[in-house]
Amino acid sequence: MINYIDVITVLMMGTSLAVFGLRKYRLSIFAYVLQTLLLVIVFLLLYFKYDAHELLVWAFTAFLMKVVFVPLFLLSVVKKIGVINEDDPVGGFFISPIIALSFSLAVAMMFYKVFVHFSIFKDALPLFAASFIFMIGIFGFILRNSFLKQILAYCLFENGIHLSLALMAYNSHELVEVGILTDAIFAVVIMSILAKRFYTSYDSLDTSKAINLRG
Amino acid sequence: MNILLLILIVPFVFGTIMFFMPLHFKLLQKLHILMSLAVSALLLSAVGKIVDGVELFAFHNYIFLDSLGAIFLSLIAITGLLVNIYATTYMKWELEDGHISLKEVKNYFALSFIFIGTMSLSVICNNIAFMWAAIEATTLASVFLVAVKKDKNSTESGYKYIVLCSIGLAFALYATILLYSAANGKIDGEAMLFTNLLASATSLDPMALKLVFIFALIGFGTKAGLAPTHTWLPDVHAEGPAPTSALLSGVLLKCAMLGLIRYYAIVANGVGFDFVQIVMIISGTLTLFVSSFFLIRQHNVKRMFAYHSIAHMGVIAFGLGVGGAIGLFAALFHCAAHSFTKALAFCSTGNIAKIYGTKDMTKMGGMIHIAPVTAVLFGIAICSLVGVPGFAIFVSEFLIFKAAAISGQYLLMGIFALALAIIFIADFSHFFLATFGKVEGKVEYNSEMKFSENFPLIALAILIVSFGVWQFDSFIFLLDESVKIIMKR
Repeated sequence: MINYIDVITVLMMGTSLAVFGLRKYRLSIFAYVLQTLLLVIVFLLLYFKYDAHELLVWAFTAFLMKVVFVPLFLLSVVKKIGVINEDDPVGGFFISPIIALSFSLAVAMMFYKVFVHFSIFKDALPLFAASFIFMIGIFGFILRNSFLKQILAYCLFENGIHLSLALMAYNSHELVEVGILTDAIFAVVIMSILAKRFYTSYDSLDTSKAINLRG
Repeated sequence: MNILLLILIVPFVFGTIMFFMPLHFKLLQKLHILMSLAVSALLLSAVGKIVDGVELFAFHNYIFLDSLGAIFLSLIAITGLLVNIYATTYMKWELEDGHISLKEVKNYFALSFIFIGTMSLSVICNNIAFMWAAIEATTLASVFLVAVKKDKNSTESGYKYIVLCSIGLAFALYATILLYSAANGKIDGEAMLFTNLLASATSLDPMALKLVFIFALIGFGTKAGLAPTHTWLPDVHAEGPAPTSALLSGVLLKCAMLGLIRYYAIVANGVGFDFVQIVMIISGTLTLFVSSFFLIRQHNVKRMFAYHSIAHMGVIAFGLGVGGAIGLFAALFHCAAHSFTKALAFCSTGNIAKIYGTKDMTKMGGMIHIAPVTAVLFGIAICSLVGVPGFAIFVSEFLIFKAAAISGQYLLMGIFALALAIIFIADFSHFFLATFGKVEGKVEYNSEMKFSENFPLIALAILIVSFGVWQFDSFIFLLDESVKIIMKR
């Protein structure tokens, strides 16, 4: 029988690469919407598989905040700033996804073996995917110069953490998930305000231009 | 109502009240001071209960106050109050000079309370995931305390602050999740609670604990300014307004360090102290030498103090690395000593920037003649920072040497002495440059500040000297009890 959770988490890995690599901001945000929708489906499948009632609430809140609110907010920021394409990343548009992909795969290979040992749900592929998505997010910060792309990278690694949390600590107090999610939403809002300011100051979202404070 | 719940609610209520106040500076100034006094009184009354031996728990034990938390809560209360009082003076100058609008001042005051509230929450969390969320919230609450203005430098500092701290703290969240999953079902009670995790630390898998500590070090170490993930700190501390830098350096870094210390305690009791001590020694030594190297090259007075913050986080890490009861005592003492000292240092840069209109020390000089009180306060901060006897930081640095000598770690004594010597030379050369000799640039405000304006700085200076020469019994009690918590004695 097909393990749907495995299939969906592999699709999530694919969407994380799309969020990372797509040059147009709107497409990148839509890829994030798709990934978060898949995350919600994983929560629902885990709920059915393990009868974990908490994950039903998680699925609902994640849908509301991350499938609806965050993408709409980011789209409005893109519209307000008036940008369409991302600035050149470190190593160029072709090389940077390859670097991110290879290193993320390597790091995820190391981490998931540890995580699967202690995880409440012993689903190996989802645990691997969680580490992979987290690392793609981290490499998004390192390799992408665009401020907006870095906000999306933050959203990516937050999705990786959210998936890890569901697999490894779903039965912790519900306020834990609420606290982490609230922080993430505020972080996206604050980073977006700073991105708008950044664009006004530098006439660009290219963070490699932010070199006034070195020394 | 439980005092811990009041600690959580009151700063946020005050922040909201401030946010809706009319745009009248005198009113905002008085209200800011009064509400800061009320918050600090509340925090200190909770600390007082701990000193009296009362145990404070609330909300299903998810929040609590132990001696360890009480030390840091008292720093938020004392340093936070004095810096907030100074902030009213600093913002008045900024307003008069047209650097900032009245609405921005009001938002600054309002956010200060939210910031104090998130820091207080971070030190009273028994639930380690709440603690993580609170520490992340401190970043979010303080971004616009740093990026007050909308110019390039301010935006750049805000960007670096939120991005780098968020990345770093993500690793700490992984540490939290991994620790919970490693403990879930293996210990008595809720596996997210620090008290339960510490009590059953020996039941936890040692390999998992080691990985947890490395993740926690990366995460909380980034926020605390430990090398090599310290790079955000000089830009942020140098660019923000002086009171913000004082709060960030004097209090916030310590809150992140408390997060790390709680993980230190759990892991040390689970796998043995050797592992955590070696890791902290490496981290502390790296931090000390990286910061002292950059310290020598600095001419911007705030940037110099920012690198000092990194150096002193290195000292705390080094103290935790040397270990033993005395080493831990010294590390915790250093948190308080550095808090008062760095608050004074950054607040004095506010006075200095007003006098010279610049932060570049090569364009200063003759401060002792222009503003003798400010010069003396600046000197007290410098003397304490380099560990001159009679000042607070000397006590903790001396105790670290003592702990290393008692445990026969002579190489560590040598490394520590070398790092401190570099810092000593760098600091005094900068101090002499700014304070004595001829004025090298221009003087924009050729007078000493009023006593009322200097009052918070004088109070901090008195604290620095007091902690250098006296033993405050209640503070020593809290330190001793905290060492017992960490060592599970």
